[in-house]
Amino acid sequence: MPSVTFEHVRKRFGDSTVVEDFDLVVADGELLVLVGGSGSGKSTILRMVAGLEEVTSGTIRIDQRDVTALPPRERDVAMVFQDYGLYPHMTVRENLSLGLRLRKIPRQEIDRRVTWAAGMLGLASLLDRKPKQLSGGQRQRVAMGRAMVREPKVFLFDEPLSNLDAGLRAQMRIEIGGLQRRLKTTTIYVTHDQVEAMTLGDRIVVLADGRIQQIGRPIDLYRAPVNRFVAGFIGTPPMNFVEGTLRENNGQAVFITEGLSIGVPREKTLTANPTQSLTLGIRPEDLRVESSAAQSVDDGSSAGVLRGRVVLVERLGGTSHVHFDVAGGGSRMMASVSNDRLPIVGETIVVRVPPERVHLFGADGRAIGRTAEIV
Amino acid sequence: MRAEQKSGSLMAGPYAAFLLVFAVYPIAFALVLVFLQWDLVTVPTFAGANNIRLLLHDGRFWRAVANTFVFLSIHVPLQIVTALALALALNRQLAGRSFWRAAFFLPVVISGAVVAILWSHLYATDVGLINRLLVKIGLSPVPWLTDPRTAMPAIAVMVTWKNVGFYVIIYLAGLQYIPRSCQEAIEIEGASAWQRFRYLTLPSLLPQTILVVTLSTINGFQLFIEPYVMTGGGPLRRTYSVVLYLYNNAFAYQKMGYAATIGVALALIIGIVVFAQRRLIGRAEAL
Repeated sequence: MPSVTFEHVRKRFGDSTVVEDFDLVVADGELLVLVGGSGSGKSTILRMVAGLEEVTSGTIRIDQRDVTALPPRERDVAMVFQDYGLYPHMTVRENLSLGLRLRKIPRQEIDRRVTWAAGMLGLASLLDRKPKQLSGGQRQRVAMGRAMVREPKVFLFDEPLSNLDAGLRAQMRIEIGGLQRRLKTTTIYVTHDQVEAMTLGDRIVVLADGRIQQIGRPIDLYRAPVNRFVAGFIGTPPMNFVEGTLRENNGQAVFITEGLSIGVPREKTLTANPTQSLTLGIRPEDLRVESSAAQSVDDGSSAGVLRGRVVLVERLGGTSHVHFDVAGGGSRMMASVSNDRLPIVGETIVVRVPPERVHLFGADGRAIGRTAEIV
Repeated sequence: MRAEQKSGSLMAGPYAAFLLVFAVYPIAFALVLVFLQWDLVTVPTFAGANNIRLLLHDGRFWRAVANTFVFLSIHVPLQIVTALALALALNRQLAGRSFWRAAFFLPVVISGAVVAILWSHLYATDVGLINRLLVKIGLSPVPWLTDPRTAMPAIAVMVTWKNVGFYVIIYLAGLQYIPRSCQEAIEIEGASAWQRFRYLTLPSLLPQTILVVTLSTINGFQLFIEPYVMTGGGPLRRTYSVVLYLYNNAFAYQKMGYAATIGVALALIIGIVVFAQRRLIGRAEAL
């Protein structure tokens, strides 16, 4: 089965370590997304699979075979590049078929595969054009077709949609996902765009500073981020963070910060050290903007309710983003709300923070109360 | 708008004047001279089409044209191959890359006469370095510049050596223009080093190759210093170039009208050859 296995893979450039102890198995037929900011090491990992970068230590296996020291052409992988990497002097047909011609595949078989890929990608009428006569989306398709006709063990995508405009990016994202599900080819997909990661990945690996932060299904990363980095990185709009402390109050754990105190379910504070300084995270879509300020608010110690003064309302169409300053605090937060009753700038609003939706992070950034679920 | 025009004219002025005096005027003068007979001393007289008629039946002129083609047929291919090979080598990560690049460029800026004298010594039959090396490995010495069969090839090799640095720079620029992703893509697709060169590098360098062919052809037609210094056009007129013949007509035989006619004819031949080359290469590209 063509799976890809990383065993303690490290990569150093001079004195700096770019990838640290990368250990992972990509299952046969899986679409695994590597996501992270620039310098996270995601592209380097992909290039090590392709053989374009040497591995400093560790082993990479494709289909159980150790490929760590093999040149790119002996690895049976195909790669789609950010700038497509099409051969400018060749027609679409030549671009698609070159890899097969180099491998001395019979001409009939080449024609069959090129016709098949061109049909699947809607390139049939463009086969005699050169890359510069194509639009960005069409070039992207040719690059994908070039990978498909090879029928490789593994597809490698290196930020393939970064050069496209937003609309085309969304469309190509859907096409890539659909194509991968039909072909069932093991795929490693690198992106800095967490929306691409969420929508495409069977599993996502979040990377920062060359280290794996979390591996999991998209929904698991969204619901249960293991640290503050993952919490802030996955999900749009990004999670709100508020600094505060945890107190014991009548047997209940209460998170306290200026302008807000909220009772936190027991299981979320299992590993927390009382009076330790913490960060509370809450997603904008989990906040409930209840009403205007006229309504009286129960100021009980664990009510999970705060007041805020609206500073900005961004209307996105279906929903709106309400930015507000927490009264008595100073921290700025954002709530994602439907358009039914939008507050106006300057208005004081009451916002309810559902305790079960709260994430707590320790001073080291790790999620509290979740150690059992971590990879 | 008027002010802009004024400053534009002012800035273009000096070069326009230069062009007028050193290019437009000489060309016009040469075209007039074609129809004159003039020895630089006495008053020129009208000669009608005599110079042209003479040229068409002048065996020495056509011999010089043929010699120049022999030179080009060796020089141009050799120039492409050596410049490309050196550019490929210098494009790699090798120790002292800047030194090597400078070293290969140096002959370009050395005076042609100096290079010619230097190579006369290298090519010398009895004491030349090349022949001494040949003798050392057990071969008999070759009279490079005095044998009619080897004189022009020897000059072509030397001119190629002198100019290679210039063309290396053109190829290096072209090599750096090939996107890294293309090079990596073809590597992943299974190409060997030779296949990468054959299917990616060489076709990507077509514009540079056209430039090298065109420039080295134009330069080659103007071959003068080397035969003038090294062979005087011999042996058996085998290194007599068109420009050397032109020079001798003008300043040795003082036939200015005829020399101008040779010059105009040379310009026409260069134009026709370069045009034909471009057509041929263009057709090859379309294939």
